[in-house]
Amino acid sequence: MQIREVELDDVLVVAPAGRVDSTSSTQLEQLLFDRLDGGSRRMIVDLAGIDYISSAGLRVLLWLAKRMQAEKGDLVLCGMGEPVRQVFELAGLLPLFAVEGTRDEALTRLGRKST
Amino acid sequence: MSLRLRVEPPGTAPFAHESQAASVVVGRSTQADLVVADSYLSRRHARLYLEPDGWYVEDLGSKNPTRVNGRPVAAPERLRPGDVIELASTRLVFEPAENAPPGLRIDSTVFRPASEILGLGEADLTARRATVEGLAGRLRLLNEVHRALAGPISLEELLELILERAFAVLHPEEGVILLRGPDGELRPAASRRVPGLTGEFLHSRRLAQEVTEKGLAALVSDASLDERFATAESFLSLGVRSLVAAPLLDAEGCLGMISLNSRAHLRRFSEADMELLVSLASAAALRIRNIALGEEAARRQLMERELALASEIQMGMLPRRFPERREFDLAATLKPAHSVGGDLYDVLLEGERLWLIVGDVSGKGVSAALFMAVARTLFRAVVPGAASLAAALGRMNRELARDNDRALFVTAFAGCLDLATGELAMANAGHNVPFLLRGDGSVGPLVAPKAMALGVEPEREYPTGSLRLAPGDRLLLYTDGVTEARDGKDQLFSEARLEATLRAAGEAGAEELVRICLAAVEAFAAGAPQSDDIALLALQYHGRG
Repeated sequence: MQIREVELDDVLVVAPAGRVDSTSSTQLEQLLFDRLDGGSRRMIVDLAGIDYISSAGLRVLLWLAKRMQAEKGDLVLCGMGEPVRQVFELAGLLPLFAVEGTRDEALTRLGRKST
Repeated sequence: MSLRLRVEPPGTAPFAHESQAASVVVGRSTQADLVVADSYLSRRHARLYLEPDGWYVEDLGSKNPTRVNGRPVAAPERLRPGDVIELASTRLVFEPAENAPPGLRIDSTVFRPASEILGLGEADLTARRATVEGLAGRLRLLNEVHRALAGPISLEELLELILERAFAVLHPEEGVILLRGPDGELRPAASRRVPGLTGEFLHSRRLAQEVTEKGLAALVSDASLDERFATAESFLSLGVRSLVAAPLLDAEGCLGMISLNSRAHLRRFSEADMELLVSLASAAALRIRNIALGEEAARRQLMERELALASEIQMGMLPRRFPERREFDLAATLKPAHSVGGDLYDVLLEGERLWLIVGDVSGKGVSAALFMAVARTLFRAVVPGAASLAAALGRMNRELARDNDRALFVTAFAGCLDLATGELAMANAGHNVPFLLRGDGSVGPLVAPKAMALGVEPEREYPTGSLRLAPGDRLLLYTDGVTEARDGKDQLFSEARLEATLRAAGEAGAEELVRICLAAVEAFAAGAPQSDDIALLALQYHGRG
């Protein structure tokens, strides 16, 4: 798994690519933890590059959503392919996330102009 | 080779028993060689006999099975010095050490070897800690401590943490941790007390000796009744009534002790409190030694030991034998991908209701394994007497969601089968849809209303669906490790392959279904390493016809 990051003013876009399984989700969790600790409170996680996510990966995103809620921050997910959406849906977790189709739509939701 | 036993009957004083015979039958009957007044004993309960390699104990078909160090004796078992044999309410200590404390129970004071408490079967613990909230709280405490100890932590922080956690759960008024210095002297290393308490910190030197030198855990329900404290006047005059203490013990020896006092009459510690403190002290001891050594080797050793322990606890929790009734057959298997994992299954027969669950905890490793252990224990606790499956799952979910900072969750399919009617209530908390195999050979999904995984949000409801099983119908519950098993070319086994396997299985019974599915997955994977646990549970309903 590779993780790209782009900062657009006060919005941080995190885009992991590849497989998010029990091993690589630790890497993702560490990065998100560091960014939260560093003060990022507006975040987009772009899942377009993800072709597989395990329940361990789901847990990391759920943890991020709960932390963001507690810190009164904003989190939007985007770029969810069908297999990834199915994993969220099966676990019944989809309603807990703000989900948009594309990164631009996610940015719009956070009140930013499209790039 | 003569036989030496310390006999501890219920309610009366312990006594020593020595015998030159090569076979000793223990029981309530006057015909027994060793007669014990314990109304729960069978007339001829168990036999101890001498073989060339030592003494053995065998159960003589008693109603309450004989146990050695907490484990039931299925086949004759060789005894080692210090082994504790339990016959109903009676305890026999085999070849007690010469320096054992005189009379293990002194009125209100109980001493027990810490190693024996750590070796207690899980069943013994659950039997004693009856309430759901209490049980979950204790497991959560150990979970939290283990998690905190896994991160970087200084000795000072560690001791603070242990005291803080002990206070939160055991509610003492003061607590102290003594550590042995390089000169061998015990000195207070950390202490804590409730606000408003002043004066000197109290601990009895004699008690400290007993605990640290013999590795005993101590429970004093009323210090004023114990002659050990007769000389410790300050101790009593300041009103210490109840006390619980445990050694900081690891495989290398004793590092010190933790002791909690209560001065008021309000709080009396129990044996369950003592057991919990022993577990806490043992978790701390490993880490204290590690910090003291400051070596990478010790760190790795700790990790390996924790993993091995977690794996052992986890596998030990899953039922290997199922209740036997003519109305059904059950079979299940679990293959962890790593040494510890997060899959679980469980089955509970409660009167005419058969409860089932198969679940999968998000993530891997020790935290997932501990969460799995909590989930499985909660299932066992919420099910008996539950009004409905929905109520049981709602309660389980609330407990799992509480203080769940790391957002762990468990997907699960659960069912409750009425054995008389074949009526199956079922719920799906974010889990893979199981299969229903009808007696006529048709195979289809077992559809229950969809709900959120357990442990995510405390106030969720878990609606149930229902279905009437006919004699001959079978269910196959599984986790995604089955359908997501990979072959060498990264192809998934898939639901389609599982369904085809089941169709080809014809009229296979529960045990055979599990065997066939596992074999199909293994043949498909052809040795490729798997990243997820594999769990399978099959039920065949026979009805009462």
